[in-house]
Amino acid sequence: MKKKPTLGIYGFTGCAGCQLAILDCEDILVDLFNYVDIKVFFEAMSNNEDIANVDIALVEGSINTNKQLNELKEIRDKAGVLVAFGSCANHGCVQAMALGDGKWEERFTKVYGDAKFTVAIPREAQPIHKFVKVDAFIPGCPPSTLQMLRALTQLLHGNQPTYTNSPVCLECKFRENECLLNDGKLCLGPLTMGGCTAPCPSHNTPCIGCWGIIEEANHTSELTLLKEKGFKTEDIIRRFRIFGGSKIVEKVQRLLEVE
Amino acid sequence: MRILKLSKKDEKKLYDVLIEFGEVWAPVSKGSKYVYGKIEKKEDLIIYEKCILPIIPVKKFLMPQDFTMLNFTPSKYSIPEEDIPTTVVVGVPACAIHAVNILDKFYTTDYVDNYYMKRREKLIIVGKSGLPEENCFCHKTNTSIVEEGYDLFLFDLGDYYLVWVGSEKGDDIVRKGSDIFSEEVPKDVSKKFVEFRRKKSNCFTNDVDLEGVTDLMELNYNAPFWDEFGEKCLSCGQCTMVCPTCTCFNVIDDLALSAETGGRRRYWDSCMFKDYSLVAGHHNFRESKAERLKLWYTHKLKAFIGHFGSPSCVGCGRCIETCPVNINIVTVVEKLKS
Amino acid sequence: MKYEYKKEPELYTPIMMRIISKRDLTPDVRFFQAVPREEYKHLDFNYKPGQFMMLSLFGTGEAPFSISSSPTRKGIFEFAIRKTGKITNKIFELKDGDMVGLRGPFGNGFPIEKMLGKDIIIVAGGLGAVPLRSLLLYIMDKRELFGRLIYLYGAKNIDDMLYEPDFTEMLQSDQLELHLTVDKGNEGYEDTIEEGLVTHLFKYVNNIDPKNTIACVCGPPRMYKSVVKEILKYNLEKDKILLNLERRMKCGVGKCGHCIIDYRYTCIVGPVFTYWDVIHMRELI
Repeated sequence: MKKKPTLGIYGFTGCAGCQLAILDCEDILVDLFNYVDIKVFFEAMSNNEDIANVDIALVEGSINTNKQLNELKEIRDKAGVLVAFGSCANHGCVQAMALGDGKWEERFTKVYGDAKFTVAIPREAQPIHKFVKVDAFIPGCPPSTLQMLRALTQLLHGNQPTYTNSPVCLECKFRENECLLNDGKLCLGPLTMGGCTAPCPSHNTPCIGCWGIIEEANHTSELTLLKEKGFKTEDIIRRFRIFGGSKIVEKVQRLLEVE
Repeated sequence: MRILKLSKKDEKKLYDVLIEFGEVWAPVSKGSKYVYGKIEKKEDLIIYEKCILPIIPVKKFLMPQDFTMLNFTPSKYSIPEEDIPTTVVVGVPACAIHAVNILDKFYTTDYVDNYYMKRREKLIIVGKSGLPEENCFCHKTNTSIVEEGYDLFLFDLGDYYLVWVGSEKGDDIVRKGSDIFSEEVPKDVSKKFVEFRRKKSNCFTNDVDLEGVTDLMELNYNAPFWDEFGEKCLSCGQCTMVCPTCTCFNVIDDLALSAETGGRRRYWDSCMFKDYSLVAGHHNFRESKAERLKLWYTHKLKAFIGHFGSPSCVGCGRCIETCPVNINIVTVVEKLKS
Repeated sequence: MKYEYKKEPELYTPIMMRIISKRDLTPDVRFFQAVPREEYKHLDFNYKPGQFMMLSLFGTGEAPFSISSSPTRKGIFEFAIRKTGKITNKIFELKDGDMVGLRGPFGNGFPIEKMLGKDIIIVAGGLGAVPLRSLLLYIMDKRELFGRLIYLYGAKNIDDMLYEPDFTEMLQSDQLELHLTVDKGNEGYEDTIEEGLVTHLFKYVNNIDPKNTIACVCGPPRMYKSVVKEILKYNLEKDKILLNLERRMKCGVGKCGHCIIDYRYTCIVGPVFTYWDVIHMRELI
């Protein structure tokens, strides 16, 4: 029998929900063990190696301390394919919502005062591609079971996972929903990477952009539109930023300049 | 052409007849809009006086949003055995039937698409001429009247429906429902029919002027307003999803974990997306949104005529209803004419 | 509505073919030979130079590739494929005996019937030599049916020159006027390969009878303009200049929409277009 590819699942700063999403595969989970040899999975296994030599490393979470950064570099060195797994690793997610505003230290001091850190020196949250080469991105907060399995299968098969380069609106329309923007709601569907099958708008809840920004997102036009609908600029920008992470920093600056 | 009468007091019995032929689908409300939904009991089959334009048009019955084309192993494949139910769609407006006629032409020209044909053969269309909605402009695209493509077609003439039988299957239906479909059409039918048509004509509020747009598209190919639209466009692709004649799709392979089996999926794609015209080596033939918008409008208003003899816009007004940033046939035509 | 339709061979289902040999033409272009599996042997696999096929690797996907072999050499399908993305990466992993799915042939191909008896100028740039090899071999195999044969080929450098040994051998032939060039670096090949852009080879193209000549061009998008300009100097009519173009395709049969230009689908009316089409249809090159 062919040797099973080895897999390491690592978590940095985040809610660990992406790792949970793997466990959430349920029926398929047992099947998964037939095809991969999981070396590291702290959330679900005992007897883990700290950082193992693996064929595929799934990295969840953003980098928030120097210790994490060093570990990330070691993971990179020991992994064949390194995958940014979920929104935190992809673009920083909520903990990176204020990224680039230059006030991180101010905020940090406000919370921690003059506490001294010796082990894990904190730093502003950043997605992993800021530090190491990332071979594949699996978006999602958390990734959907279906898309995660599709991506994982492609990786096991030696392929680059297919990257959804269409907005949430595509799947929202597949599900025959009325456009929430037309209904006067602050929906970020057109700016957000699809693949989630649009569960929120399908329940009449506007998209908050949790899968991250799509390559072609037209924030300028969406801002103008939402202002026409009566929303305040600051509210809109705040919403843009929640899951915008590293991808939004420049865009927001440009938007504010125009404003 | 056989023309019969269906008395409104028998309207509810229509369901009992249609269900003999297959699943019955009709517009059902969803929020402030409608979608085509499966009708499980006869009370739920409502025939509206107005034209109902569900969010996703009839095309969803003929080419589902996302389906598996092939199942495969690394060296073998098979076409999935699909059990496609016969589907009777009730309350289909004239413009939508024109759209189906366009799809029929499209899917049978050059090569015949069997995935489409398999579904087309199972679709029974019960059309209904309704009063236009706010955005309808089928009177400008010559699609407010329909001559073929339906099985039955209803006109609301007050206390009865006039029923036009358009196909063999339609004929089977009226034979089956001989107790509700009557050969005795009232004497004043012509008068009433003219009245209905006049009433309908007077209801149109969208007076978009399509005169000469085909040539105007050509004349304005490099006009700066395309870039303005491009800057506004959200690339959400909704216009293409709701358009009854948009057909583009993407194909992708999915694998099971074992990598030993998998499926080839076909799902709707949109020319508004960046990857649409991307080729190997990252060359993109339509990098800008303006170019993509131009492609869509050219295809709807001009190009299709070259291929099939008529424009592929049927005047349903969905793009007007749907586009969040008001890039639609009305605003584009306005620019073309200014 | 009831339909009377011919049950075509299923449009979207490939014929399974076996890879029987492969070799590297350049560091990133590999040449493959494939033959239909036994159960398909009864089918007629005729095609025209310039046509393409949709190649499937189940689990990875499907993409269009020009046929590089000639229909005069029946039974074997040849492709030369550059490693550029997901599907081509996987194609490079294929071993002899592996199975691939192929659909087609699709597209118009070169209008051979109109080219009979004519002088033919072929201009290839880079990977453009792949589909044009089909045409070249076809003409060589039916040499008496055509007039003069002029073949100009430009590659980036010696390493990137496809079929380089074959061409070097053909230089000796009196059956064609062959001229090769590389953009830069012909050291060691000065006798056979020039240095400079492919347009610079036109100095060897003389005594052209514009009424009786057809030019066939294929190469990267940026090459067409300059090459066509050179050809026009010989007063060739616009519909005697044929260009083999490329587009994204998902179906090959005019349904998926991706290759649309104006109202025409490249996979149906192309990939071979005339220079008049290029002027007339926007966005073509």
